[in-house]
Amino acid sequence: MTDHSEKGSLFTSQRFSDFPSMKEALIARKIEATFMIAPLAMKLVADGVPVRIVYLGHRDGTGIMVGTDSDIQDFAGLRGTKVAIPSRYSNQNLLMHRMMNQYGMVDGDITLLEMPPPEMPAALANGDIDGYIVGEPFCAKSELGGWGRVLYLTKDIWPDFVSCVLVVRKELIDEHRPLVQELVDGIATSGKWLDSDMVHRMDAAEVVGKYYYNQDPELLKFVLSKPPDRVKYTDLKPMQKNFDEIMALANQTGIIDKHMAFDEYVDNSFAPDVFTLTVPFDRLPMEPAPDGPGTPVTPAGGK
Amino acid sequence: MIIPLLLIVLGVVLFVQSRRWPAAVQNVVLPGSVALVVLCLWHIGAAAQERPILPTPKLVAVALVNLVADGTLWRYVIASVFRVSVGFVLAAAVGIPFGLVVGWSTRAFTAFNPLVQGLRPISPIAWIPIAILLFGIGDGSAVFLIFLASFFPIVVGTMAAVRNISLVHVRSAQNFGLHGMELFRHVVFPASLPQIITSLRIALGVAWLVVVAAEMIAVNSGLGYMIIDARNQGMRYDLVVAGMLVIGAIGIVLDLGIRRLETFDEVRWGYAKR
Repeated sequence: MTDHSEKGSLFTSQRFSDFPSMKEALIARKIEATFMIAPLAMKLVADGVPVRIVYLGHRDGTGIMVGTDSDIQDFAGLRGTKVAIPSRYSNQNLLMHRMMNQYGMVDGDITLLEMPPPEMPAALANGDIDGYIVGEPFCAKSELGGWGRVLYLTKDIWPDFVSCVLVVRKELIDEHRPLVQELVDGIATSGKWLDSDMVHRMDAAEVVGKYYYNQDPELLKFVLSKPPDRVKYTDLKPMQKNFDEIMALANQTGIIDKHMAFDEYVDNSFAPDVFTLTVPFDRLPMEPAPDGPGTPVTPAGGK
Repeated sequence: MIIPLLLIVLGVVLFVQSRRWPAAVQNVVLPGSVALVVLCLWHIGAAAQERPILPTPKLVAVALVNLVADGTLWRYVIASVFRVSVGFVLAAAVGIPFGLVVGWSTRAFTAFNPLVQGLRPISPIAWIPIAILLFGIGDGSAVFLIFLASFFPIVVGTMAAVRNISLVHVRSAQNFGLHGMELFRHVVFPASLPQIITSLRIALGVAWLVVVAAEMIAVNSGLGYMIIDARNQGMRYDLVVAGMLVIGAIGIVLDLGIRRLETFDEVRWGYAKR
């Protein structure tokens, strides 16, 4: 999996286009670590697969989208509609149930439909669904396309929303602790870099869009800047209060049938502590400066 | 481990011994012994896994029993068979006339054959986005994919059937004064029917083959859906394999059914002539 050099270990990344294949590769230990939707990772632990959540992929970065011209103005307006979710093992599904709890709705008041995320914008444009909830960039796609409107971003309804988590095989944790630490540190460092300057985010959008994900860089730039706190790459230590709530919702909806304690599926020993002062997103420039660095932000002090 | 090994030995012994038994017994014993050995090898392989993805036959049997008990299996079988039937019948209804015309008329053949040959090798999975665009999510798209998958084998088979009709048939019919639609109805169509039925048989196999792909589109029933949905869950690979087995079993039944077409009198004369 890795090559070693003086600068550090080289981790080879592999892109998958669907959740199941990735999950199967992890179960078969053809890959050692992966980002995956949080409740699915917890479900794997519940099913006896030796993996642990060690870090988060990002926070927020999910929205509920409805048609631009639809008369849905708040969550109550979704009653009786058809809303697509990426998977019932996604935290997006659990967020829908969390909101339904808050609005006094029961199962069936909103028809939740599992759909691969890339198909959601087209399904909304076609009128096959009334709305969808999914991680970026599939919200931005409808927004930029003109047929979709953000009903909510997660930061406004479930702050610090957890979508994807970094899952690592238990064997790797037990036998190669320094390697896992290096991986988490690398992701944490790049997250800090991303969140410290809008210029960095715009650079990343170009590079990642062109060379890794085959996504339109403009779409990614939009996601990373409109508004800047649409998605966050810092403060990614898994927090017990987030996960206890996810576990409770997973039990309520029945996607995980047994209750597990936080420590059973999370190994928090690799994640750096959350910064006491988080990145001031409201002070990040909305647009990158034409040249030269933007406003540098230094996260002050550790906990 | 010892029981499966003994059963394998039993299977091999039955296989070898059956040589001396009556044909009717062999018809049961030969496939039965092969199935027994495969089942045992499957069990041994599954039990030996370090990281278990493949379930043992026993787990799959339990899953199947549960599916039957709670009624989902029957519901899923009906849903899949319904989608495949509609797609297949539509493909036959459009494909056979189209194939007849294109096969009969040289001008039509020159015009349409490249298009047909160009579209034929495209996997139905590649059509999914277009299917959603045209038919939305749900049954319409799934039926469309099955239609596409079975349409091309039928068209190609029918075209070839018409083009391969022995000239003797056509000329003697013309000598008897048959022309136009009459020639077509009394000679061309019956003469090509055996090969058309062969193509229908192939097409039905393909239609059933793509049921898993077709049910990838947001439907919430069917055997393909069951497999895809099970893969989305944590560790329900017992359901994946159960779905595979049921699809295989129904495939056998469908093929037996369509082969009965070949025994009709209207069709048999075509076979005898070749």
